[in-house]
Amino acid sequence: MPTVSVKWQKELFPAVEIDTSLPPYVFKCQLYDLTGVPPERQKIMVKGGLLKDDADWSTLGVKEGQKLMMMGTADEIVKAPEKGPVFVEDLPEQEQAVAVGYSAGLINLGNTCYMNSTVQCLHSVPELKSALVEYQNSGRSSDLDHLLAMATRDLFSELDKNVKPVNPMQFWMVLRKKYPQFGQLHNGSFMQQDAEECWTQLLYTLSQSLKSSVSRENHDKVKELFGIELVSRVHCQESGEESSESESIYALKCHISQEVNHLHEGLKNGLKSELEKASLALGRSAIYLKESRINGLPRYLTIQFVRFFWKRESNQKAKILRKVDYPLELDVYDLCSDDLKQKLVAPRQFLRDEEGKKVGLKSSKKSSDSKDNDVTMTDAAGSSSSTGESSASTSQEGVPSDKETHLTGVYDLVAVLTHKGRSADSGHYVAWVKQESGKWIQYDDDNPIPQREEDITRLSGGGDWHMAYICMYKARAIQM
Amino acid sequence: MAPADPNNPTQQRDEASLKVPSKDPKKKDDKKDEDLSDEDLALKQQLELYVGRVQDSDPGVQKLALESMRQEIRTSTSSMTSVPKPLKFLRPHYGTLKTFYETMKDSDLKKYLADILSVLALTMSAEGERESLKYRLLGSEGDIGSWGHEYVRNLAGEIAQEYAKRQGEDAPIDDLMDLVQQIVAFHMKHNAEPEAVDLLMEVEDLDLLIEHVDSTNFKRTCLYLTSSAKYLPGPDDILVLDIAYMIYLKFEEYPRALQIALFLDNLGYVRQLFTTCDDVLQKRQFCYILARHGVAFVLDVDIVADDSERELMQDIINNMKLTEGYLTLARDIEVMEPKSPEDIYKAHLLDGRASAGASVDSARQNLAATFVNAYVNAGFGQDKLMTVPSEASSGASSGNWLFKNKEHGKISAAASLGMILLWDVDSGLALIDKYFHSNDNHVIAGALLGVGIVNSGIKNDCDPALALLGDYLDREDPLIRIGAIMGLGVAYAGTQNEVVRHKLTPILGDAKAPLDVIAFTAISLGLVYVGSCNEDIAQAIIFALMERSESELGEPLMRFLPLGLGLLYLGKQENVEATAEVSKTFNEKIKKYCDMTLLSCAYAGTGNVLKVQNLLGHCAQHLDKGENHQGPAVLGIAMVAMAEELGLEMAIRSLEHLLQYGEQNIRRAVPLALGLLCVSNPKINVMDTLSRLSHDQDTEVAMAAIISLGLIGAGTNNARIAGMLRNLSSYYYKDASLLFCVRIAQGLVHLGKGLLTLNPYHSDRFLLSPMALAGIVTLLHACLDMKAIILGKYHYVLYFLVLAMQPRMLMTVDENLKPLSVPARVGQAVDVVGQAGRPKTITGFQTHSTPVLLAAGDRAELASEKYIPVSPILEGFVILKDNPEYRDDH
Repeated sequence: MPTVSVKWQKELFPAVEIDTSLPPYVFKCQLYDLTGVPPERQKIMVKGGLLKDDADWSTLGVKEGQKLMMMGTADEIVKAPEKGPVFVEDLPEQEQAVAVGYSAGLINLGNTCYMNSTVQCLHSVPELKSALVEYQNSGRSSDLDHLLAMATRDLFSELDKNVKPVNPMQFWMVLRKKYPQFGQLHNGSFMQQDAEECWTQLLYTLSQSLKSSVSRENHDKVKELFGIELVSRVHCQESGEESSESESIYALKCHISQEVNHLHEGLKNGLKSELEKASLALGRSAIYLKESRINGLPRYLTIQFVRFFWKRESNQKAKILRKVDYPLELDVYDLCSDDLKQKLVAPRQFLRDEEGKKVGLKSSKKSSDSKDNDVTMTDAAGSSSSTGESSASTSQEGVPSDKETHLTGVYDLVAVLTHKGRSADSGHYVAWVKQESGKWIQYDDDNPIPQREEDITRLSGGGDWHMAYICMYKARAIQM
Repeated sequence: MAPADPNNPTQQRDEASLKVPSKDPKKKDDKKDEDLSDEDLALKQQLELYVGRVQDSDPGVQKLALESMRQEIRTSTSSMTSVPKPLKFLRPHYGTLKTFYETMKDSDLKKYLADILSVLALTMSAEGERESLKYRLLGSEGDIGSWGHEYVRNLAGEIAQEYAKRQGEDAPIDDLMDLVQQIVAFHMKHNAEPEAVDLLMEVEDLDLLIEHVDSTNFKRTCLYLTSSAKYLPGPDDILVLDIAYMIYLKFEEYPRALQIALFLDNLGYVRQLFTTCDDVLQKRQFCYILARHGVAFVLDVDIVADDSERELMQDIINNMKLTEGYLTLARDIEVMEPKSPEDIYKAHLLDGRASAGASVDSARQNLAATFVNAYVNAGFGQDKLMTVPSEASSGASSGNWLFKNKEHGKISAAASLGMILLWDVDSGLALIDKYFHSNDNHVIAGALLGVGIVNSGIKNDCDPALALLGDYLDREDPLIRIGAIMGLGVAYAGTQNEVVRHKLTPILGDAKAPLDVIAFTAISLGLVYVGSCNEDIAQAIIFALMERSESELGEPLMRFLPLGLGLLYLGKQENVEATAEVSKTFNEKIKKYCDMTLLSCAYAGTGNVLKVQNLLGHCAQHLDKGENHQGPAVLGIAMVAMAEELGLEMAIRSLEHLLQYGEQNIRRAVPLALGLLCVSNPKINVMDTLSRLSHDQDTEVAMAAIISLGLIGAGTNNARIAGMLRNLSSYYYKDASLLFCVRIAQGLVHLGKGLLTLNPYHSDRFLLSPMALAGIVTLLHACLDMKAIILGKYHYVLYFLVLAMQPRMLMTVDENLKPLSVPARVGQAVDVVGQAGRPKTITGFQTHSTPVLLAAGDRAELASEKYIPVSPILEGFVILKDNPEYRDDH
């Protein structure tokens, strides 16, 4: 009966007796007592081979004092999880898009970057998307307005479904049919167009068709989303005549002159204009000064930089390269009419408090011992919230339409449409869109490229780099 | 000048001044004389007088004149700064003396004159005339050194020429050899070992050297011998190294002798050393050196009589202590904390463009993470993906990460356990065991491969790898077979294990076996029998190659068959020729590929310039359609040229040319060749080239460049490469394949958290570990078709790198082999070959306490006198013994 030493993991069992008259299974049972590894899980290495349960000890030639090695664990056997993980590679394209975190690009069909970038910008408005999804075929299949709305709807859903670039051919055909100016040819190929024109026309068409489809409720979804109410005071300095008008527009214009360095100044300029019209008092035409103020804020504020002007000498729409900074967070409070300002006071206060609270929370976390500070902070918050409530009750009748969400006049940048080049009909249009995840994606036709937020504000012009042409801001609304 | 010279009385000088004006070249002399100082003028006239007197008829006068002249010359030639004045002044009279010599009768005086003529010929003799030697042989056989150093050097040069001439004419050389004896003795005595060695090499009689070396100069002699061996054509290099070995043996510098024995791959010498050396510590040190080189050497009773001592030494050779030392190093440097792939990617440093935090797992990226995790935590025994759940023992989550890999990805995931527990066979097998019971064939295949990886470089008496894997070789499922086959190849690389051969060879002959099984069998056999020139295996692989149908010859994996064949002859030079002849009869499709692979493997690590030229020639040709042999040719350039620093630099430049003028298939291989040349040695210029190529238009060039960036930075934690790769990861965020390569490269750069190296060269860059080279070369050949192999289903070839992984450390141990911390200086190694005196061997050093990390090109020396290292090469494990002469000052 030789005794052997058995090595198991880091342990060594020095003297294990082998009864060579019994099969190795018995030996394994011996080891089971020592290690707790069931015999069927034991692997015992003898001279480059495994010890079989029914082997014959005499043929193995186990010597006295030989070292054997045993492998085996009492661990649970690894089982595959019932539900295997899902891999991106296996997903249908639609879900891949979700995983990637942004939607697809659009193929350029030959100078259609103006259209692609416009579509990408508008595609980033979820409310517009949902409105289009609800939009039903109301039997006017031949109406071009309707066809274009349908095409837009289809294109938007295609974009959401795909990872690979989408071909907007259908949409483009309808667009060209509806607005033949986009089908202009030059030397046998389609001409580059002004993206702003495309943007305006498309929105107008959508507004028309969406309005008509939900006519029962008698409200215009597009107008609700993008429409800006203006009140203007038209004033003639010569005669002292004064009149007031109101209008609804889809975009604020930022006029660029020598003095304008910042979006805000441009917007102010844009709201002032001179016009010549017949004066009743003077009996002739006279210069009137028109000063407009915002009277109703949209959910999405569109701002167009008036960068192009008709240059007679060169017979083209030339571009102003001047650098005009724009902020990621825009406050249009001082562009509002007095009425609107009144309404905004309470929500703005509330918003400020909310932000103050956030900051306060952080500071209290930082220094837990500054209790005094904390108390005053909450006091202030409490008092202001009470004033907020009172003002909210007063303003309640003012805005009956949306009881819960209030606009604050503060806007966040969500999309920028840029132009690169020297005239409106040439160069390249690109859309820069903020995703729901907060990441910015540059849609250069079929190629979406992630960008950093600080690079977005660098699109303000002043060189030959891409410069902002249309900016879209989303309102920061609060729940009250 | 010697004013007290008795042979130089003033009277004679006066006489001379009277006599000389009657001489011919008077006018010229007058002009020249104007520039001379009085003293020089006097000397000149004196010499001219002697010349006149030599031609005197009176032998007494002649003798006196000759002796005076000789005296003048001897006293002046000892200076080596400029042409000695007496020689300069005697120049015009050389012809006169020569003609006079011819007219003289044989006598002692004639011999004297011959001596003087021999010295004068030093400056006068026309090129190729070898008059100095001629007169020396005619002259008296006096002390050769008395004529000065420069004379001896000149003579040595002429002897070399004369020797070559006489060899051609079959003329006797005995007279020359007498001179050689004298010259060598002179050189060796005067610190001019390189000159002595050079002369002996020219006259092909290096054995003479052994008589002349002594304890003061043998080190420098041997250093010169070993370094010059790299530049010698075979078989001279072997001869030179043999001599060096003998000298080391003579002076009992056994560790150095062992190095040479290993370089020569001569196990007889190794055995001799073990029996000759009677110091136990030195023998233990031998074991460490053998272990680092990966030699399968079995100690027997004849070598070490004592049983327990033999067991201890065998354990060292078998690398059983490696994991212990490595973990000690890791604890000392405080890097035990496991790292996750995210710690390596450092995505937070990349703003904006980083991957958009995908909510869904990507199989490709998870696979990359598996490899990164394995590389980074290699050998540490713990990680954050594979080993964590088992410790938490929460049954449900166990093996979670494993199943986050898709299908064949699970092979690599299970095998990564082997990498994480590298070298730690006991715990490794325990952890892998449970995966054997899985019902998923991928997992079992991975577990088999993992067992092989754990055992890489480790030899165990119980042969667990063979026992466990042997049963799986005949399984039905090709995946399981591949797992077992590759596992065996990795575990037994370089051991020439007979049992493995008997188990694997039949698979090659199995006509039903799929190609991938055959391919991995060929590689595994090549690895196990690397550099063995085993005929049986070569035959088996050749038959397997011939049996394959033509369509199969075009498969990407087909390349492993010629490579397996080539590995058998790795570094064995002309031994490959018979097989290379056979390979010429192969099918057109594979013939040239096979030829290139065999050539490059056989001459790998030899630095043979002719072979490099041959390979470059193949790269210069324009390809016919369907040929693919240029890839291995480019890799071959790197394999051959990597032997020494100069050739390496030249190869890098040649590759740059190939990059500019080569065709696409060459350009794809160039980054890989660069990666091999500088593996674990991030040279700035190579880094820049690869960085440029990593943005190449051709994605395969870019992928190869990225992987190579990983290779050159492997285990260095090089911040610059890490930064490059991070930027590449954002640049290629959309391309899954390229991103995969970037991730692998990132893992490589942080290999073993910076404690490991892939460099197959070790011991002061003198020895080449064949297994390590074989492992890297196999991966590189696989990279030649990245898309089909690494990006396809055979990504586990990335584990072949485990063969090259070694800790890049200096670990000092005491006489009981316990770690001992001593101060050590680590700095850039300086080439001191052929330098006089005792120059500094390192520069720009820093002092640390051991264990320390050594970067490429670093050398260490002890900063304390308290201990004496048993091995002169401070790398890996080094035993220290107490210095008996050390006295503590404090």
